[in-house]
Amino acid sequence: MRVSRLLKTLFLSLALVNVAMAARTPEQIAQDIGNKVYCLCGCVTSLNTCPMLHCEVKAEMHKIIDTDLAAGKTEPAILQDLVDRYGEKVLAAPPAHGFNLAAWILPGVGLLIGLFLAITIVRRWRRPALQAAVPAGSVGSGSASAAASAADDKLRAAVEEEMKKFID
Amino acid sequence: MNQVGAVGLIAALVFAIYGMITGALAGKFRSPRMLKSAQRAVLGFFAMTTLAVVSLEYLILTNDFHSAYVASHSSRALPLLYKFPVLWSGQEGSLLFWTWLLSIYVSIAVLLNRRKNRQLMPYVIAIAMGVGTFFSLITFWVANPFNQLSLVTASGISPYTPPDGNGLNPSLQFHSMVIHPPMLYLGYVGMAIPFAFAMSALMTRQLGDNWIRVTRRWTMVPWMFLGTGIVLGGLWAYHVLGWGGYWAWDPVENASLLPWLAGTAFLHSVMIQEKRGMMKVWNMVLIILTFFLSIFGTFLTRSGIISSVHAFAQSDIGPWFSVFLAIIAAFSLTVLFLRLDFLKTENRLDSVVSRESGFLFNNWILLAAVLAVLWGTIFPVISKAIENETVTVGPPFFNKVMIPIGLLLLFLTGAGPLLAWRKTSFQSIKRNFTMPLAVAGVAGAIIFFAGVHLLYTWMSLFLCAFVAASIIGEFYKGARTRMKTSKENFFSALYNLTMRNTRRYGGYIVHFGIVLIFVGIAGQAFRFETQGLMGPGDLLRAKDYLFRCESITSGQKANYTYETTALDVTQNGHALTVMYPQKRFFLAEQQPLSHIALRSNLARDLYVVMEGRDPDSGKAIIHVIINPLVQWVWIGGLIVLLGTILALVPSRIERQMAELHKTQAEAVEARHAG
Repeated sequence: MRVSRLLKTLFLSLALVNVAMAARTPEQIAQDIGNKVYCLCGCVTSLNTCPMLHCEVKAEMHKIIDTDLAAGKTEPAILQDLVDRYGEKVLAAPPAHGFNLAAWILPGVGLLIGLFLAITIVRRWRRPALQAAVPAGSVGSGSASAAASAADDKLRAAVEEEMKKFID
Repeated sequence: MNQVGAVGLIAALVFAIYGMITGALAGKFRSPRMLKSAQRAVLGFFAMTTLAVVSLEYLILTNDFHSAYVASHSSRALPLLYKFPVLWSGQEGSLLFWTWLLSIYVSIAVLLNRRKNRQLMPYVIAIAMGVGTFFSLITFWVANPFNQLSLVTASGISPYTPPDGNGLNPSLQFHSMVIHPPMLYLGYVGMAIPFAFAMSALMTRQLGDNWIRVTRRWTMVPWMFLGTGIVLGGLWAYHVLGWGGYWAWDPVENASLLPWLAGTAFLHSVMIQEKRGMMKVWNMVLIILTFFLSIFGTFLTRSGIISSVHAFAQSDIGPWFSVFLAIIAAFSLTVLFLRLDFLKTENRLDSVVSRESGFLFNNWILLAAVLAVLWGTIFPVISKAIENETVTVGPPFFNKVMIPIGLLLLFLTGAGPLLAWRKTSFQSIKRNFTMPLAVAGVAGAIIFFAGVHLLYTWMSLFLCAFVAASIIGEFYKGARTRMKTSKENFFSALYNLTMRNTRRYGGYIVHFGIVLIFVGIAGQAFRFETQGLMGPGDLLRAKDYLFRCESITSGQKANYTYETTALDVTQNGHALTVMYPQKRFFLAEQQPLSHIALRSNLARDLYVVMEGRDPDSGKAIIHVIINPLVQWVWIGGLIVLLGTILALVPSRIERQMAELHKTQAEAVEARHAG
């Protein structure tokens, strides 16, 4: 209980500090926006990393961000302004609505399906071992499992024998 | 030389087809003569691709611009060092390079197995040469590097030789670019060999311990090259692209990460098969997936279906690769399906809390990472096809999805080795986890009070401490045990412990390298950057550092003009250094490139870029980035490489086992002869 209370306090403190750290200067907001949008000059990089010399698109996008910041707009409002002007392709990540929602959902669904499969495999691996523990001669799948195991042994022995023939 | 190279290509294609057919027939009819013939075809394939590569390099080095490839990718002023990378800088050359590397791999496999694995080798040759046939065919038919330039005039077609070539992409004119692509290619191509062994094992029903032992080693080598190539690619991006980062989740970067992740999953799960005879089907799936993703990576890099900052060579080879990928998937899954009865699990799980479960969950996370990266990479194509909408899937998406997956994986990296095979008791968990968790707890508190308050960054560093403590603990406990039993001093015990089981301890060193890479990545949370216009005498402050512009000079080299800003740097008032960021303009290619100025130590990098000149004031646009802990990424990469090399060295246990297997094989052979 004490450990759990300690962990709760620690994570609460971390969350509070995270919130406190969220206060950013206009330069930091501009920097963050620059990482969240792509420069559309064809360089295939974010606005902050466009390597083109005297890139007019980059200059124009920076101007929009600076003007919006000076007008007191928030980060989401500035991003929306950029989307209104250039379309959703300006965003470095697909917005979470419509078909684009699939981009965000699938990795999580995949992770859960994988977890389900891993748990199923572990349970299946475990089950025959428990059934094998059932005393010999008892009725049920335990004897079936033993019979299958004997058949496997027989097959394995035959395969071993075949393999030996092929060794030069 | 053009004709010699072209003849080499045709001959290589003939040898590849012949090797594929005779290899398959040797397997079908168990004919030693046909096997011998197939082996010779492999060596012929190697000789002919080597002839083609030497011919192309000769054309490049002698500035033969009558060759269309040389005229497109080289120039007279290109320094000698960068003439070698011209071979793989374009579509045609890189496919020839791919084919040549494959011929080297298959030749080595044939030479190392002249007296071993005689049942497996016919189909290994057939499958590897099948891959060779595909690459020889597209190199000869679709992207031939030996095409010549000609001029169409009223009087007919005449040969044409331009006075100079277009030159090499400036961003490729960097020292790590000389070795980065060959490393990646060695990784991609090399995955063909474990795939060939796996398929051969299925086809011949030789599914005992042997194929898995052979395949594991053949997987580890390309996995090592792929990992090294990825790190070198990061190093190149950091030094050349001028944005102060090394990984941008670009499709081509992702393409190299995918087979590396799948290969990592295989190298872990194969241990369960070796130790417990479990996960046999799964290991086959992973080998198929790794090879499939390697070809998919080459396809992404070369086809241009997805926009990328790294796609230097693109053409219409996409449909060819699509068909080849479909053939790989259909063939391998059919063979696997037909042999499912031979891949039954031999043992059962004794306990959920065991090393086996740890590996299973490790595979779960690694495959989830593969799925997330693959999905994010191809989503723009899917969105375009279904919704006819262009979307971008960049770093914000991948960071959000991959950071939790990465942290989970980091936890398993530390926890896995602390679990015992078969069953881990509660007492054992308590004993093994207490110290690493205590160390991580103390480190976590120190990091928190030192000002690291971002949740993911804090968790990453906390887990790094946990994993590092668990690895060091494993080495320490092992050495202490040896000290007691063998009366050795600590360092001898540590050395002998490592050499006795190089695979296990090499693996721990690889894990330690991964920890250091995570430390470097965590440092990115504290990146600081600023930008300013600077003329002589102007000042720019970046945290503790003050930059004073001394001068802006310009000049010309053989293949580029440049402008350099001299910046006098002080830290907290103390003179530190003078930095010289440069903007270059490459003449033949008509492209600009920033040459960064860098001052590194283990705590941080001072990264300065001259973006260019402000058109109004004429002042230099200077971008300063303070990048904490970046060097740990490169150090971690080097440690991963060293750990993998150590794991590849046969350990004393393996040598003893090899002797035992040899004796057994000789006994069986003697009995057979008798």
